[in-house]
Amino acid sequence: MREQLLAIKEQALAELAEVSSLDALKDLRVKYLGKKGPMTEILRGMGKLSAEERPKIGQIVNEIKNLLEEEITAKTTVLEQKALADKLANEKVDITLPGRQPREGHLHPVTLTMREIKKIFMRMGFDVMEGPEIEKDYYNFEALNLPKDHPARDMQDTFYITEEYLLRTHTSPVQARTMQSREPNSPIRMIAPGTVYRCDYDATHSPMFHQVEGLVVDKNISLADLKGTLELFLKEMFGNDVKVRLRPSYFPFTEPSAEVDISCVICGGKGCRVCKNSGWLEILGSGMVHPNVLRMSGYDPDQMSGFAFGMGVERIAMLKYGIDDLRLFFENDLRFIRQFK
Amino acid sequence: MLASLEWLKQYVDINIPVDVLVDKITRAGLEVETVTYLGEGLEGVVTGKVTEIHRHPDSDHLWVCMMDYGQGIVQILTGAQNVKQNDMVPVAVVGSTLPPSSRNPEGMKLKAAKMRGLDSFGMLCSADELGIDNKLLLPEQRNGIFILPADTPIGVDVKEVLGLNDVVIDIDLTANRADCFSIIGLAREIAAITGCPLKMPAMDVAEAAGGNAADMAAIKIEAPELCPRFAVRVLKNIKITESPEWMQKRLRACGMRPISNVVDVTNYVMLELGQPMHAYDYDKVAGHTLVVRRGGEGEKLMTLDEQERTLDPSMITIGDLERAVGLGGVMGGYETEVTGETVNVMLEAASFHGPSIRRTSRSLGLRSEASGRFERGVDTIKTHNALNRAAHLLEQMGACETVAGIVEAYPEEVKPAVITVTPEVISGRIGIDISKEEMIKTLTGLEFGVEEEGDALVITAPSWRNDVTCNADISEEIARVHGLDHIESHMPVLGMAQGRQFVVEDVKDTIQDYMVAVGMNEVMSYSFINPSAFDKLQLPADDSRRNAIELLNPITDEFKVMRTTMAPSVLSAAAYNLARQHSKVAIFEVGRVYLPKELPLKEFPTEPAMLCAVMSGKANDLNWSTSRDNVDFYDMKGVVEGLMAKLMLNDYKLVHYAVPYLHPGKSCAIEVDGKIIGWFGELHPLAQEAFGIPQEAYILEMEIEPLVAAAIAVPKYKHLAKYPSMSRDIAVVVPLEVTNAELEAVIREHAGELLIGVKVFDIYTGKQVAEGCKSMAFNLTYQAADRTLTDAEVDASMKKVIAEVGEAYKAQLRA
Repeated sequence: MREQLLAIKEQALAELAEVSSLDALKDLRVKYLGKKGPMTEILRGMGKLSAEERPKIGQIVNEIKNLLEEEITAKTTVLEQKALADKLANEKVDITLPGRQPREGHLHPVTLTMREIKKIFMRMGFDVMEGPEIEKDYYNFEALNLPKDHPARDMQDTFYITEEYLLRTHTSPVQARTMQSREPNSPIRMIAPGTVYRCDYDATHSPMFHQVEGLVVDKNISLADLKGTLELFLKEMFGNDVKVRLRPSYFPFTEPSAEVDISCVICGGKGCRVCKNSGWLEILGSGMVHPNVLRMSGYDPDQMSGFAFGMGVERIAMLKYGIDDLRLFFENDLRFIRQFK
Repeated sequence: MLASLEWLKQYVDINIPVDVLVDKITRAGLEVETVTYLGEGLEGVVTGKVTEIHRHPDSDHLWVCMMDYGQGIVQILTGAQNVKQNDMVPVAVVGSTLPPSSRNPEGMKLKAAKMRGLDSFGMLCSADELGIDNKLLLPEQRNGIFILPADTPIGVDVKEVLGLNDVVIDIDLTANRADCFSIIGLAREIAAITGCPLKMPAMDVAEAAGGNAADMAAIKIEAPELCPRFAVRVLKNIKITESPEWMQKRLRACGMRPISNVVDVTNYVMLELGQPMHAYDYDKVAGHTLVVRRGGEGEKLMTLDEQERTLDPSMITIGDLERAVGLGGVMGGYETEVTGETVNVMLEAASFHGPSIRRTSRSLGLRSEASGRFERGVDTIKTHNALNRAAHLLEQMGACETVAGIVEAYPEEVKPAVITVTPEVISGRIGIDISKEEMIKTLTGLEFGVEEEGDALVITAPSWRNDVTCNADISEEIARVHGLDHIESHMPVLGMAQGRQFVVEDVKDTIQDYMVAVGMNEVMSYSFINPSAFDKLQLPADDSRRNAIELLNPITDEFKVMRTTMAPSVLSAAAYNLARQHSKVAIFEVGRVYLPKELPLKEFPTEPAMLCAVMSGKANDLNWSTSRDNVDFYDMKGVVEGLMAKLMLNDYKLVHYAVPYLHPGKSCAIEVDGKIIGWFGELHPLAQEAFGIPQEAYILEMEIEPLVAAAIAVPKYKHLAKYPSMSRDIAVVVPLEVTNAELEAVIREHAGELLIGVKVFDIYTGKQVAEGCKSMAFNLTYQAADRTLTDAEVDASMKKVIAEVGEAYKAQLRA
């Protein structure tokens, strides 16, 4: 019986060595270790053995079973590894074929620029206010110290709807609206982004464009505060290296008034076509709120002072992205819009 | 405003290079737009005298001239026909250069040439060839060779003779600086900035004509609100000629055309002192009396440009005792114009109400150098200066004799503004400490009167600074002369605050981000549209969207009315791109429409924020492994459903609703709280054709405001299911017209509480299904919150569903 067992073992090991597939291995296991296998048969015949022999043979049977179990497991691992290696070696994609990209859309560059401007000012505690685009002459002009037939009205060619209603030429009316909606002399820190309209249409003028107006009113606000705030904004917008220059100018609603220039973002101030060789780019208009404007909106100019500023969003977008034609913004050519993110 | 540097230098020493000067005045608030070097590219052209002239023997149009140009005599041929023996002309000898002109766009360098066998060593020049704008020349100077005055010396650079060595500075003058609308005003500003003294022009008048102006002329102001002051001088024995070349060249440099001595002097003084003037033929003014009044309703006046104008009471009218003779400050009358026959002149210098001048000049389309100055305001206190300066110049030119005295009406004396303010207030507004001494120095440099009264400064504005009226104006003068660059900036010290925007703006941001995330591109269109868009949209005649707000002064018909629907804007953008080789568009716009409550507008219209999206063409970019199908209704519906889910708006209904520009069978409206807030679907074939879109397009138009309430809700957490769900499929064959919603409703009604979801996953029509029917397959999901379901429970429910659906239709269970 012992010889019989050893012969089974030798045969099983020999067969195992020949096995080259997982299926064959499975069959082998059933053949030798299954209920109908030769070992089971031997175990069944053990009743004939002496009480002395029985445990010895039993031990041999167990040893052989354990050995085969181990060998089969080891062989399984080897075969599995080999199967995986074969699979990996045979499977291949053409990595140069284009992928299935989810289609991502693009925001309009004016939206992107507007969002960035809003974000910078909101971080400084400015509220974002809104106003109507169809505005009354009163808010668009008169409340801003621009009475009827004031020569400065020429600065802004106006689309009229009636004698009284017009398309706002700037976002400045939101200044007057905000002040008039607040308790007199209460502090204000706001910007007003929006669409504005001017009766002007050529390569450098669009009849519709976007502005962001800003207004700060508080006690002891000065021109130096205006300068500091705008310098911070422009550095956030165009980078820390940008130089800022204020130039005296005239707006009826501010006094003193200043145009704000930045060092040319294209040439860095050396002089190029974009800055007309001056090294500077006009970027926004600003000034200390005119006492008449405060007074007309119920604020006392002896107690409160403030500064205001206004900027063209397309202008900033053009400089930021290097866009050289204003008309592109409203042509809605997808080849243009898809360039921005 | 154009300013001649040579002219400026007469009144203030300028010892700095032009670019430094330009930078300084720009930084002081007078923005220099351009600097033009006259005569740039004109080198070596000198004056020469025609010593001999005869026809070219072999040409019927060429002339052979022997030219004395100071360094000898040369032979030059010319094709011009206006040159005579002894004429003084500009001679471009060999080696000289000419600037770009209409005849030589690139400019030219002179070389010796042969013309029909004869040598020509240079050319005689026309004004155009010298780079002078023809519009600025007397008519007789425009054609042929530019004939110079006979007393011009020989061999002198023509740049000197013609004022082409001058530099012209163009200043973009702000509306407040009326005082700088003149050479003397600019010179004064330069003097204040550079510290060099200002010299005033000579204004002494000989008054040699005898008599007294007061006995010869009278002035009346009947409308003092429109004319604070009106003054005249009377000039006798006028000799009308050309004005001297020095005056002509200054006028030309400043962009004005010389006409005759009297007219030129009035223009010259206007440019020099900023006071517009007018000359009347004294003998044609009835009663030698000028009356300033409002125009009569329908009154007629022939103006200098020989146009008949109809006046009205808003117009400042100058009349004599019989009729209107001029539109004050805008244009003189034709009948009293100074002509070659004029013997005596009434010279006017007046001050008019700016807004009224502006209105009149705009309504008549007559905008001039004079009206521009009156609009900004002239120096009413110093009106006499202009009369004296003009009389002085004409006397110097030997063109007249002046009658003694000025006749004027000046109903109420104008006083300069006096402002009392402390240096602290000024410094406070600027934000840095500026000493009282510096303020006084700056102000006196600008010719303000300054007196100290305790801590305060009592400041008297000069008569020409009508823009200075309050503390803030004084602070501007101090700040701009101090230099804005020298103000150290700092951040305002304010309480901490959180910057916020309106929630609807947050919702707009969310919508934009969502649309971009699902592959749509954002467009931005003009708010004004062509009203023909309403026809393209197939709107019926009584559709309220046709009540659009119209602009009084649109740029073109394309931009005529404010849009009442976003559809035309986005459809046009779609058509634009589809016409440019895009196989698909998926675009959206977030914007406003403008809805009047009544027309014409009597109160503010509403401006609701809208979302509009258009899809058309291929669903996917061309790719080796994705579908090549075009988008359809369900692509747009998916975008809408996704957006609603993003905005957490679950409570909406899609209902049938007629929209004129949508396909009636492939569209629906979105209803929230019983109100239609928008619609989407396939564009009506007629609208599609009208907008030039080559294939089916799908459009969504929706109001944004009604979405806000749901969008700002905070999502509430629901417990995750602890027990597994079970799913079953059924397929139902039903008539084609049965909708998904109907079937779903039947399933939900009978499946019981354990059903948590129904999804249609297949729709089939074809061989295995009867004609007029379709097979719809549904997946049903069951789940309980408190236990694992048994097959028996689910089977019971399915049985009931099948029975009920089968009763209504014909149902069969799938695998």
